[in-house]
Amino acid sequence: MAENRQILILDGAMGTELQAAGLPVGGIPEVWNIEHPEEVTAIHRRYIEAGSQVVYTNTFGANRLKMAKAGYPLQALIVSAIGNARAAVVETGRPDVKVAMDIGPIGRLIEPLGDMSFDEAYDIFAEEMRAAKGADMIVIETMSDLSETKAAVLAAKENTDLPVFVTMSFEANSRTFTGTSIASMALTFSDMGIDGIGMNCSLGPEELLPMVKELYTCTKLPLVVKPNAGLPDPATNTYNVLPEEFGAIMRKMLPYGVCAVGGCCGTSPEYIRELVRVVREWEAERDAVEAGKNGSDEAAKSFYPDDYEELTTLRNTRPTGIASASKAVWFTEPRCIGERINPTGKKRFKEALQNGDMDYILGQAISQVEAGAEILDVNVGLPGIDETAMMVRVIRELQAVVDVPLQIDSNKPEVLEAALRIYCGKPLVNSVNGEEKSLTSILPLVKKYGAAVVGLTLDENGIGKTAEERFAVAEKIVSRAEAAGIRRENLQIDCLTLTASAEQAGVAETLKAVAMVHDRLHLGAVLGVSNVSFGLPNRDVINTAFLTMALQNGLTLPIMNPNSEGMMGALRAYRVLMNIDKNSLAYMDAYRDWQPAQTVVVAAGAAGAAGAVANAGVSAPTGDTVAADIAAKLGDGAASLYTAVVRGLAAQGTELTKSLLGTMDSMDIVNGVLIPALDTVGAGFEKGRIFLPQLILSASVVQGAFSEIKNHMRASGADAVSKGTIVLATVKGDIHDIGKNIVKVLLENYGFTVVDLGRDVEIEAVVKAARETGTPLVGLSALMTTTLPSMRDTIVALREAGLPCKVVVGGAVLTPEYAAEIGADYYGRDAKATVDIAREVFGV
Amino acid sequence: MVELKPIRMDEAARYLGYGDQTPDETILTLMKECEAPLMEACHPAYSVGIFELECCSEDEVRLADCALTLTGKDIVKHLVGCTKVAIVAATLGSGVDTLMRRLQLTNMPKALLTDAMAGAAIEQICDDIQSEIQGKMPLFRQTWRFSPGYGDLPLALQDELLAAVEANKRIGLMTTDSHMLTPLKSVTAIIGLQDMTKELRKVATEDGDAISAPVGACAAGACAGCAYHDSCLTRQDKTAEEPQDT
Repeated sequence: MAENRQILILDGAMGTELQAAGLPVGGIPEVWNIEHPEEVTAIHRRYIEAGSQVVYTNTFGANRLKMAKAGYPLQALIVSAIGNARAAVVETGRPDVKVAMDIGPIGRLIEPLGDMSFDEAYDIFAEEMRAAKGADMIVIETMSDLSETKAAVLAAKENTDLPVFVTMSFEANSRTFTGTSIASMALTFSDMGIDGIGMNCSLGPEELLPMVKELYTCTKLPLVVKPNAGLPDPATNTYNVLPEEFGAIMRKMLPYGVCAVGGCCGTSPEYIRELVRVVREWEAERDAVEAGKNGSDEAAKSFYPDDYEELTTLRNTRPTGIASASKAVWFTEPRCIGERINPTGKKRFKEALQNGDMDYILGQAISQVEAGAEILDVNVGLPGIDETAMMVRVIRELQAVVDVPLQIDSNKPEVLEAALRIYCGKPLVNSVNGEEKSLTSILPLVKKYGAAVVGLTLDENGIGKTAEERFAVAEKIVSRAEAAGIRRENLQIDCLTLTASAEQAGVAETLKAVAMVHDRLHLGAVLGVSNVSFGLPNRDVINTAFLTMALQNGLTLPIMNPNSEGMMGALRAYRVLMNIDKNSLAYMDAYRDWQPAQTVVVAAGAAGAAGAVANAGVSAPTGDTVAADIAAKLGDGAASLYTAVVRGLAAQGTELTKSLLGTMDSMDIVNGVLIPALDTVGAGFEKGRIFLPQLILSASVVQGAFSEIKNHMRASGADAVSKGTIVLATVKGDIHDIGKNIVKVLLENYGFTVVDLGRDVEIEAVVKAARETGTPLVGLSALMTTTLPSMRDTIVALREAGLPCKVVVGGAVLTPEYAAEIGADYYGRDAKATVDIAREVFGV
Repeated sequence: MVELKPIRMDEAARYLGYGDQTPDETILTLMKECEAPLMEACHPAYSVGIFELECCSEDEVRLADCALTLTGKDIVKHLVGCTKVAIVAATLGSGVDTLMRRLQLTNMPKALLTDAMAGAAIEQICDDIQSEIQGKMPLFRQTWRFSPGYGDLPLALQDELLAAVEANKRIGLMTTDSHMLTPLKSVTAIIGLQDMTKELRKVATEDGDAISAPVGACAAGACAGCAYHDSCLTRQDKTAEEPQDT
């Protein structure tokens, strides 16, 4: 309990006090620092008189965006805010009272939730920090977004030497508005060198109490708690907890590592006065209990709450973990690290990296997570690509669609640093090794960004042949990491898997090294499991056996293919058999729909699918004659595929395509079956007989069929045929892109290659892509009237660049007249019309 | 409290372009499949502020004790006859945006359906908020929901509107550089509140004098036969012209 001998008393609300003094609702509070300094100082003074030992400056929104309309320079608003707080300290004759520079959220969401970049957020915070020189400490509070909070912490650490408190705002579901969990916050900041962590605003003390307990078990940092005065009435905005009750509930939090308490919205000096009374009384009781004045252990037992011992044990014994914003993964049991985001030996993945095909990479991530991966390894190293830029982009996009934490896999310090900076949460770095160069360049990064790291047991002499040699390297890495200020538990040791086909005797050495790391260093062990079977047939059998043996020896983080049923099965079974998966709940959940494997005969499968198609109901309205025609020319299988597309039957469409590829030429399937089917659906859509969802359903069947066709062509060494390249973008300022994405799917259906620039796309990026691809057609989308000027500017820029491309525009608020007015060549009324325009432009 | 109720599929279908028609069985089944993940991703939150209407000129409305000034002729027309104004900000939360991104990568048909269903959900939340206001202020009649970007009310007011109800802090609702709301499935609205115990007054508009119907004449559904039908500025059977969300 050494950390909270004397609990610091913070202050209460500033905003509501200012409003009581006459600030209009929605007005800019920081303006009062200059226009009504005496009012601001008076509020600080009342808090100090009530017992606050730290006062927060009136700078919650003092960032360049929120202060754009304030009418005063940011620097002046901040300096006068600090001055007002100092004045109160002087007036009250309390030089011990600390002035804390208050930093609130910027008011914009960081990508991908919003449009602000991480670097922009950092710059905005850095400007605030540099202006805060006269303060005694920094408080980053009321944060909701973990990325933004991390930007603020980095800005504080890199621009000041002041102590830093971080408090985020949690809702009743124990998450922030953007989904950050308590454990994620704790893991992210526990090793970043801050001085206090906790929660403020959003809820009252009663609601925060269980969250404070949870946070206590997740970090060894001192806790900071500043609740609202209960919950507000949405109509009257008054809060429902009075000072006495507030103090009584706050008292219940104090045992759980709390170092500083205060109040947020709705609290006033009265609340602080009550808080001081309660806190000092509790401290006196605690001191008496600890000094044994009250007699026995019994007294101590009754002083601390019932759950105190249990929670404290959990806090002290739980190993660390890593986290994304919404998910914490503790290193308490074996966890699967998905290995598939890695170009090594994967032709398709290399292509995706070279073409910037994010959809493929993200698809790989989603399928691994669905298969049970709890962490994903991310390696994008490939000759000829900018690894730093690609790593940053892939991490950012991955974190927008999957919630598992990531392992950043590169041996280049500059790649790691760029990734560590923007990573939202606490990552695992893969890796440092025993080489001097690696130790001196990687460990400081791990320390600075508070990450966990994999230590590879190799050094200047290569990989040791014996377990003992590798163990010695592990020991060296551990001691160097500790010397660099990294907590030991943040290290995970990789004892290196050798290939059984080449170094058969080495496999046992690896297993032995794992056991030594587990038994003697008490650290987690990592292995790239699948390497063991390289060069052998039926690799899954070898991998599964090796995985099971390694787990038994102490492996905790297997890097493996989660889509391998055998290996995932072995991992799940291990957890059951070792009594980790209590009551086999996770195991039973994973195999809920499990059925014994059945022998599948391809031909029968196809016939079955075709039968299902035939039995699925009436054929599409105009489809009959076309279907009959296709049946006559290309056979029943082709006709069934046609019907599957028209009726939107995805599974059948994929199966039928697979089987047709055995007998039909790929391009015949595309031109003879898929495109006629799309035309049928498109015609129905134009006539208003079918609706957009059905059109997209059919399009998704074709997407599945195309994916089979491309795999087939790749396997047979043929290049995929494209009807031409089209550049698509949702224009600058617009972040609604589902319309553009629908157009993309349909264009790809018709065999076009789409370069998708995404949403909120800079004008120059559109021009650059149009120039580099030499495309004859650029498609621009905008949803809102306010972004139409940006669409016009993009067209102007394309014309000024002298590019020969045509431009098609679309979006809810566009009209053909406006399209013509802004200089577009075509107006795409809907996705189908846009495809027709593309076919016209390309003459296909 | 406003809670998420089962999503009105007919409303979602309307957003998908079905009008009054019912989607076929395949689409309805898919919509059903989309419902649970959507409901799980939704964390609806809202913030409401009720302000006295302080002063109203031809193209500006000011609110008492509030820094927000509403500009444009259309909002003036919208608030004719009102003595109070409710500012509403509501969101389904960022979980829906994440779900949408994932669906657009893995299942475009479901992405399209979920998008429309989320649109229906946020409108339902707004309806519920209006019912709640009605419950607390039974003597006031509410106008429909007017939002920045409608008519000549600038979209740029979005930030100030959020500030008036502390939406950043209370519900995590933000704007982008171009004043769009994030999370995407969010609404801000200005609702006029007419004191039904008071006679409505004549007001000057750009088209000359206009008269709002006296309160007593306004039985529910009585608009069609009302003598003030053409001149009334707060007619209940007016259909809102809302921009379509795609």
